[in-house]
Amino acid sequence: MAMNILIVDDSAVMRAVIKRTIGMADIQYDKLYEAGSGKEALKTMRDEEINLVLADINMPEMTGLEMTERMFACPSVKDIPVIIVSTEASTARIQDLKSKGVKGYVHKPFTPEQIRDEVLKVIGACNA
Amino acid sequence: MKIIVDISDAKCTNKEQDQIITYSLGSCIGVAVYDSSAKIGGMLHYQLPDSRADVEKSKKNPTMYADTGMAYLVKKMIAMGAEKKRMKVKIAGGAQMMNDAKVFQIGKRNYAAIRQVLWKNGMFIDAESIGGAFARTLSMNMADGRVCVKAQGSVTDL
Repeated sequence: MAMNILIVDDSAVMRAVIKRTIGMADIQYDKLYEAGSGKEALKTMRDEEINLVLADINMPEMTGLEMTERMFACPSVKDIPVIIVSTEASTARIQDLKSKGVKGYVHKPFTPEQIRDEVLKVIGACNA
Repeated sequence: MKIIVDISDAKCTNKEQDQIITYSLGSCIGVAVYDSSAKIGGMLHYQLPDSRADVEKSKKNPTMYADTGMAYLVKKMIAMGAEKKRMKVKIAGGAQMMNDAKVFQIGKRNYAAIRQVLWKNGMFIDAESIGGAFARTLSMNMADGRVCVKAQGSVTDL
């Protein structure tokens, strides 16, 4: 079944790059949504059926961290797999995110192959 | 048959018994492209990143540059029956050779150029052996698309 993907990043260019990479990778999706902040993303998750989230950390209004924390506290969206795409380099912080439930991580700047591989890995793990 | 790709050259084939090979990849980059369904493969060995540096020269020899070279190779492979969506791309080279004036950073620029060209074409790099300060030989067996890199005396699968 095709899925709906939500890309969360305050940079429209970054969202476009991720969007194009997903298209190039032949990843089957139904709809692709975009949000410029964690707050906007949570609203989209409430209004639409989202199956995968790719999110930045540093964003205005609401960071990706706060967004994931709110997601994990909300039964209706807590099971949506999240991949963090960020400049965050601290291994401890990344481990902390993963222990909280984040499924994948891609460090910025990334190559298109890294995004493709992480998305396929997370989708594969969720469908296994 | 062994098909040798020279410097600033590109060749392709659909014969399973062929091997395509290019030698002396220093700051140059070798690009091996393979469509496993059509069993069509090709290889490019380009020297420089951008054809805009000398448009006239790029018209005479498109395979000298990353942009015109890839366009030439992909077009040739498509004409033989390959499909862009199915093409697997593996690259090697882009070294910083001792005789290169460091200021030019040709190897790095060649690598950035192929990334840009492939991005524009909607193609991924499936494997790479890039950088360092040593020469490489890149080869591809047409029977299975296996790509190998020979560098510093050892051969590795890419």
